[in-house]
Amino acid sequence: MPRIAVDAMGGDFAPEEIVRGVAQASLESDIQMVLVGSADKIQALLDAGPYNPELISVRHCSSAIGMAEDPREALRAKRDASITVAARMVAAGEADAMVSAGNTGACVLAAAKNFKLIRGVKKAALASVFPRQTEYPGQDTLGLLLDVGATIRCDAIELTQFAVMGSAYARRISKVASPRVGLLNMGSEESKGGDVLVEAHRRMKSLPAINFVGNIEGNDVATGKADVIVTEGLLGNVVLKLIEGIGEIAATLATHAAQENWRWRLGMAMMSSGISRMRDLTDFRTYGGAPILGFESLCIKVHGRSTAPAIRNAIKVAAKAVRDRISPEIAETLASIR
Amino acid sequence: MSDGGAPAAVEQAAITFRWDLDKTYLRTQFESLRQMVKIPFEAASDKVHLPGVPQVIQGLRRCALARAQRPFVFFLSASPPQIGNAIREKLELDGIEYDGIIFKDQLRNLVRGRWRSLREQIGYKLGELLESRERGPAAPREILFGDDWESDPLIYSVYADVLAGRLDAGAVGDLLRTLEVERGAIARVSRAVEALESHSEVVQRIYINLEKRTPPGRFHAFGPRLVPAFNYFQTGASLFELGLIDDAALTTIANALVEEASYSGDRLRNSLDDLVRRGHLRPSSRTRIIRILQAAAIAGPAPHEAMLRARLRAAFERLQARWRRGTPAEQLPELDYAQILRDWTGREV
Repeated sequence: MPRIAVDAMGGDFAPEEIVRGVAQASLESDIQMVLVGSADKIQALLDAGPYNPELISVRHCSSAIGMAEDPREALRAKRDASITVAARMVAAGEADAMVSAGNTGACVLAAAKNFKLIRGVKKAALASVFPRQTEYPGQDTLGLLLDVGATIRCDAIELTQFAVMGSAYARRISKVASPRVGLLNMGSEESKGGDVLVEAHRRMKSLPAINFVGNIEGNDVATGKADVIVTEGLLGNVVLKLIEGIGEIAATLATHAAQENWRWRLGMAMMSSGISRMRDLTDFRTYGGAPILGFESLCIKVHGRSTAPAIRNAIKVAAKAVRDRISPEIAETLASIR
Repeated sequence: MSDGGAPAAVEQAAITFRWDLDKTYLRTQFESLRQMVKIPFEAASDKVHLPGVPQVIQGLRRCALARAQRPFVFFLSASPPQIGNAIREKLELDGIEYDGIIFKDQLRNLVRGRWRSLREQIGYKLGELLESRERGPAAPREILFGDDWESDPLIYSVYADVLAGRLDAGAVGDLLRTLEVERGAIARVSRAVEALESHSEVVQRIYINLEKRTPPGRFHAFGPRLVPAFNYFQTGASLFELGLIDDAALTTIANALVEEASYSGDRLRNSLDDLVRRGHLRPSSRTRIIRILQAAAIAGPAPHEAMLRARLRAAFERLQARWRRGTPAEQLPELDYAQILRDWTGREV
């Protein structure tokens, strides 16, 4: 059974929501979980709700890295931080994967410091799931975008490796036999985007290991045209934050509209269940997180504002990724195209 | 309504184990009307015990005898005597020796039109516990086993405090009136409380099987005497620390969980650690138990770092123990029953 190390102290609502998420997962699955953080705080939170102690262990550590701290400085100063201890446990084979809702930079750096890159991988990529339209019945309502911040700029080889890694992950987690991979660009033509993107397009197109569907423009990100969208970290992060922001703006506008006059209020009341569903769909707090791909070991990064259901889902995603041997599969695919 | 011929004389070298049946010994399903209707028609072979529980009882008996103590095992059930035969057969099938079993005479309540008595548990169980002790044996030590489905934590705690002389007939009467227990049952309990000739700290531990997975924090108000346990390995570990079962009995309990409920070494180890974190087991006992599991090839070696930490903690604890003697239950604070009733029933004393 996979053993997942969970950073109990990372995230805007840590440790309360993290511990609750782990407790929920312990009642619904047979995954072994290790909560890494302040043992006293963790036990007090466990005591307050139902949980299955047979699936939960606790690794005490004395410090945690705050969401606003400088990742590099914090990792240097706090050697016993929960995120570092969780990464060390995975590296030492005491856990099979880790889940963290903590400081993204610290999470990526902790993984980089403790995990080995898969042979041949130049850079690791931070992936993220995002809500999108579906083009056919059964298509996953979540797309995968990578990289969203582990890198700033990338070359064509690195982008191609991201495509292979994202495709392997989506194939296992989204159960799409042949996930459609797109390259984020400013036009659909092969010649658009400058030397790096043109070269990346050429390389991806020539790879039989992935189902490359060409360039994806901004307006197609959320249409379901591609299951995996590849981009460099700077642009990926901007896109991700834009999608998050749109959801929040829509909710705010709806609230304002309802306050304007009684007809709009009535209309909003009639649409309330639909709005609620839309809010759930765009609410990043409930997603199961996404992986940092490229390392031999697996780390699932969850949104900082995640609540218990997202943590529970992330643990299940991590366990599935371990069971399905995502990292070895990426290594095998990359070896086959080398 | 009881059977079994327990001796009336006080046996100084005796220990009594009192067990609830449904949800404590048996995995009885009575969440729906359909399940409840099925119960009287179940044969002994249909009844399922919780993993490890027969081994706990057998271990307690065997180890008590090895210590030259006379063990008494009593069962107290709120089920009607009509299912008694199936229960007795089931206990026989499981190889359980016992000294008495009490059922609730629901037919008499029905015939006499005592509708409230049909559902009422607290007055009934408390009365039976006290009268059972009055009839004998009045062993100097008792260990109680119940579950989190109804009112076992409250009933057992009141019983323990009555025996210890912390609650008198007036205080118990007030509690029962607050809980709207029937007048006849209150009178019966009050009489039994007043009939007690001496008081001492008889009840050493109360084990509550968390069958319903009630959050353990809800039991803090009952003090360290009450141990909420998620499985019978946790119960066994605590009994081992008390010296009531030995290595062999604990290994048998662990093996039963592995064989009957597919427990792994990790699950057992996590169960132990949970008990340590909740303050119901000392880290040094945990280390000893892990060694027992490893010797029996039930648990693998612990990660090096964790083992080192456990040893350091155990050494620290030994130093502490030189200054502070006694188990948690021996430093029992007085329970605030007004608070317990507010938390558990929403009623004010």
